[in-house]
Amino acid sequence: MRRELGMCVALVAMCLMLFVSNPDFLGPSNALNTMRQIAMLGIYAIGIGFVIISGGIDLSIGSVIGLTGVIIAKLSSGAAPGLGYSLWVGIPCALAVALLIGLGQGLLITRLKLQPFIVTLGGMLLIRGISQTVAEGGTISFGDAPFLELANGGILRVNGEPLLPYPVLIFLVVIAIGTFLLHFTVLGRYVYAIGGNREAARYSGIDVDKVETMTYVISAGLAGVAGVCYASYIGQMSQQVGVAYELYAIAAAVLGGCSLRGGEGTVLGIVIGSAIMRVIDNGINMFQLKYRDDGGMARIWRLDPNWTFIIIGAVILLAVVLDQLVHMVNDARRIRRAAAPGGRPPAGGVETQPSAKAS
Amino acid sequence: MTKEASAPRLLAMSGITKRFPGVVALADVSLHLFGGEVLALMGENGAGKSTLMKILGGAETPDEGGIDIDEKPVVLDSVREAHRLGIALIHQELMLAPNLDIAGNIFLGNERAVGSVGTLRRRELHLAAGALLARVGLALAPTTLVSTLTAGQMQMVEIAKALSKKARIIIMDEPTSSLTVSESEHLFRIIGQLKAGGIGIIYISHRMDEVMKLGDRITVLRDGRHVGTLVRDEATPDKIVSMMVGRELKNAYFPDRTTKSADSPVLVVRDLVVPGTAHRVSFFAGRGEILGFAGLVGSGRTELMETIFGITPPRSGTMTVAEKPYAPRRPRDAIDCGVYLAPEDRKKNGLVLPMTVAENISLPNVASYASFSLLNRNVERQVAEAEVARLRTKTPSIFQKVVNLSGGNQQKIVLGKWLAMGPKVLILDEPTRGVDVGAKAEIYRHMASLADEGITILMVSSDMEEILGMSDRVVVMHERQVRGILAREGLTPERIANLMTGRDAGGAAA
Repeated sequence: MRRELGMCVALVAMCLMLFVSNPDFLGPSNALNTMRQIAMLGIYAIGIGFVIISGGIDLSIGSVIGLTGVIIAKLSSGAAPGLGYSLWVGIPCALAVALLIGLGQGLLITRLKLQPFIVTLGGMLLIRGISQTVAEGGTISFGDAPFLELANGGILRVNGEPLLPYPVLIFLVVIAIGTFLLHFTVLGRYVYAIGGNREAARYSGIDVDKVETMTYVISAGLAGVAGVCYASYIGQMSQQVGVAYELYAIAAAVLGGCSLRGGEGTVLGIVIGSAIMRVIDNGINMFQLKYRDDGGMARIWRLDPNWTFIIIGAVILLAVVLDQLVHMVNDARRIRRAAAPGGRPPAGGVETQPSAKAS
Repeated sequence: MTKEASAPRLLAMSGITKRFPGVVALADVSLHLFGGEVLALMGENGAGKSTLMKILGGAETPDEGGIDIDEKPVVLDSVREAHRLGIALIHQELMLAPNLDIAGNIFLGNERAVGSVGTLRRRELHLAAGALLARVGLALAPTTLVSTLTAGQMQMVEIAKALSKKARIIIMDEPTSSLTVSESEHLFRIIGQLKAGGIGIIYISHRMDEVMKLGDRITVLRDGRHVGTLVRDEATPDKIVSMMVGRELKNAYFPDRTTKSADSPVLVVRDLVVPGTAHRVSFFAGRGEILGFAGLVGSGRTELMETIFGITPPRSGTMTVAEKPYAPRRPRDAIDCGVYLAPEDRKKNGLVLPMTVAENISLPNVASYASFSLLNRNVERQVAEAEVARLRTKTPSIFQKVVNLSGGNQQKIVLGKWLAMGPKVLILDEPTRGVDVGAKAEIYRHMASLADEGITILMVSSDMEEILGMSDRVVVMHERQVRGILAREGLTPERIANLMTGRDAGGAAA
């Protein structure tokens, strides 16, 4: 929990700093939008969290997000080239496709012993190509269909603005289910065991292939759910939607304490990691410094949006470096404690009980 | 061979102290080494041998103390510096690159010893490597890929590599642990030659016979402290063991057992063909019997056990457990029938090191504690507490991560995991490998009492004493075949050794 706590503090500090520099940061429209963004990233970051904790990687989820939206647009948009079916057809179909993609990739990885990186890299490109083909290289608009209400509406309306947008509601449900699965069920225990030592899990009778396949289904499934939200949020789908989203999700998971070696991470951590990613994103637009120039004119200094990736990259590196430093400092402290008077070494496994003498 | 105290010391370590998180690995250790001698280093696991070795190799720096080479103080602050000073380490797990050839490995990182600037001069490398191979008595082309070598040949390549760096101090960590008898003998000859050439050797080993045979002096470490150094003439195995464990062991840590008559077979294996072989294997194991499996490394014992446990299903043949057909296709099938395996390599196959003691113990059974797939941490905790107490596992709590436990305690976790599920047949593959002497005795007592409870134990062991001390009957394997099944009466090391080296091919099945 140390990592989660540290990241939580960093998140609160960041929010405070942004609020001080620009009170609009917590203004109703920006705060709601940031929440929505956090929620949509968090949904699929939790999905990839299952894969990462079990020691795998899924590069295809950005493409799955794109394809989900494109399928809904193709099936349910009233405008050409949409086919105009009901959303009750479009959304279930799109989600089913997402789940099937996860199942297919999971089976390839577990049954044929292929490397997850390669399988999902292939999947990423292939699915992106399918999106492009379905969208015929262009954009399919939803017009102003009621579907857009999904991302932009919500409950607990105050002055017409929803306090709790639907994506945030969906995110809360995903957090609840994710936490339950990962931390309170046998499946979750197996996910950690496989990430910690795949072979030992197998020798303990765990159906490693099944559990691993399941993580890819969960990952793709949640990417599908996120895809539905994004489609509604953007209002028109092209093959560009979702490009590189998997990298945001991986970054969020790592920021939140997942290790790419597997076996480490929590849902709470991933949620915090997602929030940090989105607050930085948003903060780059919101951050401002007021000053007076030489002529006494009030001016506002803002961050150059071109720096977005520099800042995000630097934050990720800073986080892992800090984490490692804290590790090292703690180790050194433990050494000093061991060296303190009375800090005798543990018996090193040597039996000293009388009963251990030869029987 | 003992040198006068006034002879110049090749290496002297004085007052070495090294602390790790939570542990003082070495406390005020002093020792020295003369040129042309073998200093055998003994101690239980966790006694500090490997830390001492890492310090000499430059991988760790001591917190206190000094090191002299040729009576001059040196600072071993990097692996490179250790190499420069003529110190070479030969690890237990050999550190060769399997995808390179012998010459490439010998000069890896040291290519400039031959040739000049950064270019690889293959011809010169191969010539130089050939000369070194001749010195270690390895009749192989320098272009041979290392992945095709046997463990013994790789060991010789490591020694050649040390020689290529003009090493004068060679440290060997359990060099014979994966060697065949003849390979070991070859190694001992080469060690003799190295000594004659004035090289000082620190020889770390658990094997008493080797230490008594090779060591000019024998240093014993315990709990990171230097207990004492014996000259060979004054050393006896009993003396060394009591120094290692800090008490007299009386050479009797095998529990007294009445041999079980194997009249009620629990596990029957008939004409089993393990994948990768063409040989049929048949044997049975009775209720409450400890059936030992002797053989050399690579004789197919581990593969046989993995087939019985369902890791690699057999190509043909039948098995029964308690007279019911038994055909495991995966470990879960075996576990459901009460057949459990504690694997040879517990870190690789037996334990999830970053998980806690409780989580490891419950791992195979956690689903049965659960209702509607919901983890039941109460039952998990109770079971773990019970197993930790039963096996007297030393751990601060059941929530300790397994990675922090010593080898013997880790092995007890592996045992506890299966004992919690009530085994019918318990397969123990090298149950005491890497386990210190005290914990060994305890594991033996547990095995004996499990057998008394009626559990059938298959014990694979490369330790002859263990085979002789624990088995009711012994299955001897050689080149993936059963060469003989011997009863306890009249069992001698010679009979087993003959069968397992294939000298006595017509071993009668009991």
